[in-house]
Amino acid sequence: MLYIIEDMINGILMGSIYGLTAMGLTIIFGVLKVINFAHGSLLMVGLYATYWAITLTGIHPYLALFMVIPAMFVFGYYLQDIVIKPIFIAEKNVREPITVIIVTTGIWYILDNLTLLLFGPQYRSIPDNPLQGQMFEIGTMFVSAPKFYGFLTAIVTACAIHWFMQKTIMGRAIRATSMDREAASLMGINQYRIYNVAFGIGAATAGIAAVTLIPFNNIFPTVGVLFDIKGFIIVVLGGLGSISGALIGGIIVGLIESVGPQFMTATWTEAIVYGLFLLVLFVKPSGLFGQKHDW
Amino acid sequence: MNHQHINKIMLAGVLVIAFALPLVVRSATYLHILVLLFFYAYLTTSWNIVGGFAGVLPLGHAAFVGIGAYTSTILSLQYGISPWLGMLVGGVLATIVGVIISLPTLKMRGAYFALATIAFAEGIRVMVENIDYIGPLKLNGPRGLQIPPLQTGLEHFMFASKEPYYYIILIMLLAVMLMTYLISRAKLGYYLMAGGEEPEAAMALGVNVARAKLIAMAISSFLTALAGTFYAQFSLYIHPKSIISLDMSFEIAFIALIGGRGSIFGPILGALLLRPVGDFCRIYFGDTLPGLHLVIFGLVLIFVMLYQPRGIQEPISRAYQALLNRLAPTPSPRTVKLGEIRS
Amino acid sequence: MTMLHVEKMTKQFGGLRAIDSLDLTIKKGQILGLIGPNGAGKSTAFNCIAGSFGPTSGEITFEGKRINGHKPWNLCKMGLARTFQIVKPFASKNVLYNVTVASFVTTNSRKVAEEKALAVLESLNFANKKDILAGNLTIADRKRLEIAKALATEPKLLLLDEVMAGLRPNEVDEMVDILKTLRDRGVTIFVIEHIMRAIMALSDRVVVIQFGKKIAEGTPQEIANNEAVIKAYLGEDYVAARN
Repeated sequence: MLYIIEDMINGILMGSIYGLTAMGLTIIFGVLKVINFAHGSLLMVGLYATYWAITLTGIHPYLALFMVIPAMFVFGYYLQDIVIKPIFIAEKNVREPITVIIVTTGIWYILDNLTLLLFGPQYRSIPDNPLQGQMFEIGTMFVSAPKFYGFLTAIVTACAIHWFMQKTIMGRAIRATSMDREAASLMGINQYRIYNVAFGIGAATAGIAAVTLIPFNNIFPTVGVLFDIKGFIIVVLGGLGSISGALIGGIIVGLIESVGPQFMTATWTEAIVYGLFLLVLFVKPSGLFGQKHDW
Repeated sequence: MNHQHINKIMLAGVLVIAFALPLVVRSATYLHILVLLFFYAYLTTSWNIVGGFAGVLPLGHAAFVGIGAYTSTILSLQYGISPWLGMLVGGVLATIVGVIISLPTLKMRGAYFALATIAFAEGIRVMVENIDYIGPLKLNGPRGLQIPPLQTGLEHFMFASKEPYYYIILIMLLAVMLMTYLISRAKLGYYLMAGGEEPEAAMALGVNVARAKLIAMAISSFLTALAGTFYAQFSLYIHPKSIISLDMSFEIAFIALIGGRGSIFGPILGALLLRPVGDFCRIYFGDTLPGLHLVIFGLVLIFVMLYQPRGIQEPISRAYQALLNRLAPTPSPRTVKLGEIRS
Repeated sequence: MTMLHVEKMTKQFGGLRAIDSLDLTIKKGQILGLIGPNGAGKSTAFNCIAGSFGPTSGEITFEGKRINGHKPWNLCKMGLARTFQIVKPFASKNVLYNVTVASFVTTNSRKVAEEKALAVLESLNFANKKDILAGNLTIADRKRLEIAKALATEPKLLLLDEVMAGLRPNEVDEMVDILKTLRDRGVTIFVIEHIMRAIMALSDRVVVIQFGKKIAEGTPQEIANNEAVIKAYLGEDYVAARN
């Protein structure tokens, strides 16, 4: 019985980190109304960026946040500005901008394979990992320390983004654009700049997630693929555009992954996650907390 | 000498070259590359029926390839049934699966539909990877199935050299292209186009859009599965990661998109462009610059989407039209795109 | 004989009652006009009848058969065709292709469908533009294409949603003539229109709705002099000033 509680706790912790990885995806969707298929690759870029930041400067992983967050923000901002914006402009009147999906898929392929080209396929992990294998002991249960810090980071990030959206002018502009882009631009808000900022925030969030993952996750060029697909599942579960939904969706997935193997093989739990995903798509595509879109 | 004549001559010429190629190209490696090129051209043309004509974006078609491959292989390994028959059974099975998948998903919006197809394909792959036996049928999980080349001959769908495979896939490709052409000129083609472009208007004009898309998906999944059997018989080894892979699903979609979804020659042009590039990169840069071909794919994809969203078939058919006009100048009232319906 | 009979039709969107207990009848061979101020519920009524969505309550019968909530494509096959206020051509295809799509309701052969489509275009004096891409047409031609498409389905009842909007006066007159010819050929027509000269010239009878309710019905002459109608369009002050 105790194993199950231990599993559940670790599942919740890991799940919150999943939620953190998916948070950027849900923000980008909420504002741009586009599912960014390259999100896993953004996470991968974040991981490599953090890896190099730590390896070259030797600082503590969490301190790398100060370097990674701005770097990823800039990366996301200009990725949207240079590559995706032209498609947006071209497809302004199309009801379903499918081409953007295709383009983000292209970006995914380019980023993943460029990384493979530049850095090789080998698995990496940070040297001198200060958080390596650290555990908290609660009675007879062991809880992973880096995952716990990740959990805290996820909560803090979610709150910070929420605060940003509610209390700052830029945040309000972003929310206005996500509700009605035409009305917002009539109010003097440059919608394309908002998209850039939103994409930057999404990328920066992926960077934060990368920092939390780095103490215990390996780094290799296609590491993003799994998080990409899981990210879609999480945001659909929790509701596209909802940050708390992303956290909760992540926790659900985390729980299934950690508790499931008690009752079946690990790969069957993967099938269950897909099954749940399809169920949500059919029954309530707007997810648990999403808004009812004109879908 | 008018346009029609020239088109017929060109078509005849291309066919002659295609059929005569193995007489000139003797290297097994190059034949192998050609076979795979036609294989992908076939897959993308089949994908085009639902991804191009119906206007949706299925990103999980490799699942049907896998269903076709596994069905015929299991039937021939365990029960001695001819792969040709197994091919048909696989096709029917894939159609059933395709229809089941489509019923709930076709009414979803573009991105959700794409995600659902990915989820289905990955779900099927995960299941096949985990299952060793379904009742008496041996799937062998992640290790996959090997096909021992015991007997050769047409009835066993097994040949010692590459040439017969070349001709089989070529014929399959031509058949599928003909089918696509016929569909585009028939009621189904018109209905698919209308439903894809303006569903509300189409419905008011008597088009049951959902049913048309379903039919398109059924046809597409059937045809795709046939290629799965071909692949199994050609490469003699199938396992989930190779034959039900997301990479294959995406490559099929990319080629069709770059070539020009919704047109008849688009997918083939895309395959003709991208497969050789991919093979070239794999052969010469595989060690030094791994993954280069995928970077190129991605760049070409983005480039095409930005500047030629209808695919490379558009500038190519324009150039072809210009050539036709030079050779046989006629006062053409309008330009006809290659593969477009002529009224 | 009655082509369309709508009885006590109500359509509610959440708390908003867009149509309130609407009754109307169209006889075969008639042209019925539906007018009313903006937001009165005219297009909603059309959408209910034409199957875009079903009414919340009430009965809609077409040629004696109940058609509440029937799918648009089935209604089209039964002989009920409609146009859209915001025209929806298949922009990437030419005019002939657009109309051929509609002709397939009556046949499975492409050859026959194309011939029928051509015939429809010719009857509307539109055949000279058959090869032009629908996306390149002028607004007047797009409206004509919209009617051509609806006609190609060989309808018994044609629902026209503001086909004159955006047309110049001489184009409006042309359109009125086309519709009158249609009626002479036996098509029953149900029109929504804002342009008074068209409705008055065209309709045998007119129904006026405001806030989802019918406020008047009669011949064009009767309607023009009806006080409730004038009040609805021009306001109480005008009526008071007039009297």
